[in-house]
Amino acid sequence: MAQVAIKKRKGILGALAFVAVAIGLFWSLVIAPPDAYQGDVQRIMYLHLPSILTAYLSYFLVFIGSGMYLWKREKRDDLLAHSAAEIGVLFTALTIIEGSIWGRPTWGVWWTWDARLTLTAILLLIYVGYLMLRSLIEDENRAASAAAVLGIIGFLDIPLIHMSVYWWRTLHQPPSILRPDKAPWENVHPAMLTALAISFVGFLLLYFYLLSMRYRLGEMREEIRARRLDRGA
Amino acid sequence: MALLRESYLLLWKDLLLELRRRESLLTMFFFGTLLLFVFHFSFDLAPERVAEMAPALLWLAFLFTGTLGLAQLFQPERENHCLDALLLSPLDRGALFLAKSCLNLVLMIVVEIVVIPLFWILFNLRSWNLLPQLFLVTLLGTIGFCVLGTITSAITLRARARELLLPLVLFPLMIPVILATIRCMENVLRTGEFGDAIPWLRLLLSFDVIFLTVGVLIFDRVIEN
Amino acid sequence: MHIIVENLAKAYGLLWALKDLNFALKPGEFVAILGPKGAGKTTLLRILAGLVSPTAGSVKLDGATLSDGATALRTKIGFLTPADHLYDNLTVSENLYFFTSLYHQQKNSHAIDQALQQVNLADRADEYAANLSSGMKCRLSIAKWQLLEPELLLLDEPYGVLDGGGVDVLEKFLQGQCAMGRIVVVASHHVSRVLKLSSRAVILNRGRLTFDEIKQQPWPNFDKAFGEFLPQGETWRS
Repeated sequence: MAQVAIKKRKGILGALAFVAVAIGLFWSLVIAPPDAYQGDVQRIMYLHLPSILTAYLSYFLVFIGSGMYLWKREKRDDLLAHSAAEIGVLFTALTIIEGSIWGRPTWGVWWTWDARLTLTAILLLIYVGYLMLRSLIEDENRAASAAAVLGIIGFLDIPLIHMSVYWWRTLHQPPSILRPDKAPWENVHPAMLTALAISFVGFLLLYFYLLSMRYRLGEMREEIRARRLDRGA
Repeated sequence: MALLRESYLLLWKDLLLELRRRESLLTMFFFGTLLLFVFHFSFDLAPERVAEMAPALLWLAFLFTGTLGLAQLFQPERENHCLDALLLSPLDRGALFLAKSCLNLVLMIVVEIVVIPLFWILFNLRSWNLLPQLFLVTLLGTIGFCVLGTITSAITLRARARELLLPLVLFPLMIPVILATIRCMENVLRTGEFGDAIPWLRLLLSFDVIFLTVGVLIFDRVIEN
Repeated sequence: MHIIVENLAKAYGLLWALKDLNFALKPGEFVAILGPKGAGKTTLLRILAGLVSPTAGSVKLDGATLSDGATALRTKIGFLTPADHLYDNLTVSENLYFFTSLYHQQKNSHAIDQALQQVNLADRADEYAANLSSGMKCRLSIAKWQLLEPELLLLDEPYGVLDGGGVDVLEKFLQGQCAMGRIVVVASHHVSRVLKLSSRAVILNRGRLTFDEIKQQPWPNFDKAFGEFLPQGETWRS
C-alpha cells in the first residue's frame, strides 16, 4: 500500500512539474517583454538562472548526504548524495549549454573565460570527477566512503573557488536582479520577474521529480542486490 | 600531543625509507628539471616575456612533479600489507594524514629549492632579490597542494586507473591555489613587493588551514577498509 | 579480555564469506580455527582484528566494539601473518623500534636485543627485512608481538614458513601467552601441530561454524567433523 501511495505522490509531483515548467515557458516566451538591450535572446535567462541555482542546490544535497553517510553509515544517505550528484551534473551541463547559446549572439563567441562560465565549468569538472571516482572503485562501501569525502571537500572548496575566480575575472554582465544599489524589483519589469519566479518553481519541481526517480532507481538496485545475496546464503 | 608524536614517528620512518631508496625524490627532481627544458623548447620566449610567464611555468612544473610524489605517497604501505599493520594499531588516522602530507611537502620543497634558482639561471632572469618572497608564496601553495593531494591520493588508493583519476579529481579542487600563487608571484615580480596581492595570500592561508583541519578530522573515514 | 561474537556475517559482493557466527572467547584459551580453503578463516581473523567491518552482527571485546572508535582497544590486539606487516627497507631492529613506538610501548635497544635473541635473530639485527627468508620474517613478527604482549593474538597460517627451530620458538611463545591469561587464535592447515597446543577447536565450512568444542582425549566428534573435509577414503584420528 505504501508503495502505491509513494508512486501516486511521485506522479503528482511529475505532473505539477510539467505544468509549472509549461506555464513558466509560456510566461517567459510570450507574456514577458523582450529585454530593452538584448532583445529576445535574453529570454534564455529564464532557463539559465534556475538551472544554475538548482545545480547549486544539488551540490548542497551532495554535501549533506556525504556528511550524513560518514556519520551514520546509512546507505540511503549515500544514495541521496549519488543521485544528487548525477542530477546536479545534468543541470550544470544544461547551464553551460544555455549560457553558451546566450553568449553566441550576445558576445559573438560560443565561450569566454569570464567568471561565471568558468565557475560553472569548474563545478562540472569537480562533480564529474566525483562520478568517475565512484565508478572506478569496485568495492561498494569503499566507493561510498571515498565519494563522501570528496563530496564534502568539493563543497567546502566552492566558496574558495568562487572568490579566486571572481577576483581574477569580472567581465560577465552585472547581475541585473542582484544589483546591490537597487532593490531587485526596481530594476526589472514585473512580468519578467514573474516569468523568472514561475520558471524557478518549475525547475525546482522538475529537479525533485528527477531526483526522486533516480533515488528510487538506486533503492531498487540495492533491493535486487540484497535479494541475490540472501539467495546465495 | 599524541597526534604530533605519532605523526613524527611516521614521518621519520618515511624519510628514512626515502633516503634509502630515493625513488620519489630522484624521479620528482628529474621530472621537474626535465619540464623546464621542455618549456624552453615549447615556448619561444622573448626575454621581456619570461618574467611574466615564470610563475605559471614554475607552477605547472610543480603541479606535475607533485602529482608524481602523490602517486607514490603510499607505496611503502602497499608492500607487505603494511597499511593493514598501521590500521591495526592504535594509530590516530589524522597522524597518518599529517605525516604523509609532510612527506610530500618535504620532497616538493627540496625540488623547488633547486628548480626555482635553476629556472632563473636557464631563463636568464635578473630578479634574484625577490626569491625569498617567491619562496614564501610557493611554500604556502605547496602546503595546500600536499594537504589536498594527500586526501585525494588516499581516496583513490584502490581505484582503477588511479594515475589518471588522481589528477582528474585533484586539479579542479586546486584552482584557488593555482590562481592565488601565480597571481601573487606575478605581482611580486612586477612590483617587487606583495602589495595588492595580500588578499591572495590570505586566500592561500585560509585554504591551507581549512583543508589541513578537514584532513586531520576526516582521514579515518578516508583510509578505512 | 572477554570476546563475544554475535550473529557475525560478512558479504563480499554477492557471496557470504561468513554467516551466523556465534561464539565467545575467554582469557587463557588457545583456539584452533580449521576448515577447507575459502571457508572464511582469514576473513574471520581480519574482522576480529578490526581490519574489516562486518556486514551484520557484532564483535565485542570487553563489551566494546572496535568501530566505536575505541582506539585504546587496538593496543590489545595482535595479528601475525607470516612475512607481512614489515617494512622491507627498514632493518630488523628499526622495524621493532617503529612498531613498538606505534603501540606507545617504545623499547630501548636492550629490550629489542633481548627479544631478537629469544627468536634467534640477534645476529641479523642490522639487516634489512627484505633480505630475510620468510621463516626469519615470521620470527621477527613473533619478536614484535612478544614485545607488545597483546591480550588477543590472532595468527593466520604461521606454520607454513617455519622450520623446526622456528616452530619451537612459536610454540614456546604461544604457550607463554596463554599461561598469562591471554587469548590465542590460530587459523591453520597444519592440523596436528595446531591441535597439539590448542584447548579448543572450531571448524568453519563455507562461512558457517560447523564445530566448536573444547579439546578432549579421545575426540571422536572432532575426528568425524574434520574427516568430512578430507579426500575420499581418508579419515582423521587425533
